[in-house]
Amino acid sequence: MMKTILKAKLPEMLEQLAKEYKVLVPAKLEGVSRFAAYRENLELALDENVTMPPKDIFFPQTEEMYKFAAKDQSLEIEEIPQDEKLQVIFGVRSCDMKSIDCLDQVFLTKGFSDPFYQDKRDRSILIALSCVKPMESCFCTSMGIDPQKGQGADIQAYDLGEKLAFEGITERGQEVLNKVSGMFAEEDAAIPPMGEFNLTANVEGVPEKLKNMFDHSIWDDISRKCLNCSACAYVCPTCHCFDIASEVRGEDGVKIRCWDCCMFDEYTVMAGGHQPRPGKKERVRNRFLHKLRYFPERYNMLLCTGCGRCVVKCPVNLDITNVIKKIKEA
Amino acid sequence: MAVNVEDVKKINPLVPIKAKVTRIVQETPDVKTFHISTMDDQKPFDPMPGQLGMLSLPLVGEGMFSITNKGENHIEMALKEVGQLTKALHEIEVGQEVGIRGPYGNGFPIDYCKGKDLLIIGGGIGLAPVRSLIMHCIKNRDDFGKLTVVYGARSKSDLCFQEDLFENWTKVPNMDVFVTIDREEEGWDGHVGFVPAYVEELAPKPQVTVLCGPPIMIKFTLPSLQKMNFSDQDIITTLEMRMKCGIGKCGRCNIGSCYVCLDGPVFTMEQLKDLPPEY
Repeated sequence: MMKTILKAKLPEMLEQLAKEYKVLVPAKLEGVSRFAAYRENLELALDENVTMPPKDIFFPQTEEMYKFAAKDQSLEIEEIPQDEKLQVIFGVRSCDMKSIDCLDQVFLTKGFSDPFYQDKRDRSILIALSCVKPMESCFCTSMGIDPQKGQGADIQAYDLGEKLAFEGITERGQEVLNKVSGMFAEEDAAIPPMGEFNLTANVEGVPEKLKNMFDHSIWDDISRKCLNCSACAYVCPTCHCFDIASEVRGEDGVKIRCWDCCMFDEYTVMAGGHQPRPGKKERVRNRFLHKLRYFPERYNMLLCTGCGRCVVKCPVNLDITNVIKKIKEA
Repeated sequence: MAVNVEDVKKINPLVPIKAKVTRIVQETPDVKTFHISTMDDQKPFDPMPGQLGMLSLPLVGEGMFSITNKGENHIEMALKEVGQLTKALHEIEVGQEVGIRGPYGNGFPIDYCKGKDLLIIGGGIGLAPVRSLIMHCIKNRDDFGKLTVVYGARSKSDLCFQEDLFENWTKVPNMDVFVTIDREEEGWDGHVGFVPAYVEELAPKPQVTVLCGPPIMIKFTLPSLQKMNFSDQDIITTLEMRMKCGIGKCGRCNIGSCYVCLDGPVFTMEQLKDLPPEY
């Protein structure tokens, strides 16, 4: 037996939840789909995955870290209080659920927990949404992901066509469902089978093979057309590099962190001018090695979830599935 | 409000604590050592030799520097003026309040070095990170075997820590200090020549070698060390990359799957052989 609701009734359910939680939903805003705070008449984007991944919910594109004031020799540092409200994130696809696992590895393990990330993560209740029809650029199953089961979800939602079904997984998820239990019907529902994938990639043995491919000529070839524009990293649900900078006005300032990208020259250049990754070949190589070799070495998982966003957004068609293919054939 | 050492552990690792500069030593025309204490005159944190600290002048920026020494109530950082932040730091005076966070990184393998004869090689500002190890060995003199320091700089005035090199360290039992400069100059009757050649000439017989200097010095010293039949795990160096977070999250200081801020900055030659040469 599953809890089901007509899709037409979903706004009503979200409205109800928004009374208690901050509710984030996939929505179309100014032509781009992304997660946004639920409000009446918001155009939900449930037919396919959102263009912008959910990473900015936990790791905002720009985030204030602390304030400071400096005058003559004195300095004051003031921490910025965090929001305390629980947030329900509805409609996260399996690929993006896996990306949250990748981000958790980075921000919450290896001896240091990042308090800015952890705070938002701890306050989040995740409702995963199963897929029925892959988009042209999807290849999540190639990365070992089940498109109908989101890893780490508090609630799993299933797309049944006219209706949605909900399954509480964690206690926290169950609690959320209980708040709107009156809206659900209880019925046996068959989950529609997943459609055929247009794109695939065979990553078997790739991390191991890459151990001996640092100096391979393949990188000249792969990097040639790259523009170092960083679009791939910005839309990537797992890319997590950031810069820390100050915004200063007179004697006051705020320390911010913002998304950064390993495609940029400034990313690694040191005071004095030494540059460990001087050209785009070195930078493109680092990006793909990070995704397919370094991250697996460090965290035992790939840093790619097969969401296909970079495949769609790359202005020069630098397709990661094609890179994987070239590595396999090299 | 003053922050004490215990508080540091509870604090957000990305937010600096307020500290003050209590002493500034002009080491060379472009290197100064800064002594830093908390507002209530304590050590901001207790670093192990080789660890790093993030020092900030918030209106200008923050930068990761090796901690060259620690005292009862302070830590020391020696900074060469190379960029915007270090230029601004070179202009501050005693009493300046700064931000500090840390300690970061692994530090030198002290336990592994215990009881062994150590050769410590430095070039230019590269003596700064290894000085923390030298000071530790001097403070715990009986825990280590013979201590040999070989240090070189471009000219006499570019030699850092001259009081240590020519006075303090010469009095330490079972410790030799050899200093060289690149070219002859008036008033210098010491050794002249580059560090790698000097090391070969001295032919010391240590069990563990620790080196830090400009990439070119490291590149030319390694063959000398290999000629001396060191095993790769007994050659230790400390590396530098651009850093922002210091806790292995922000991404930029990676060499292969290692982060210099967290897994380094100290690496053995054995570890470096497994990493891409991207530093």
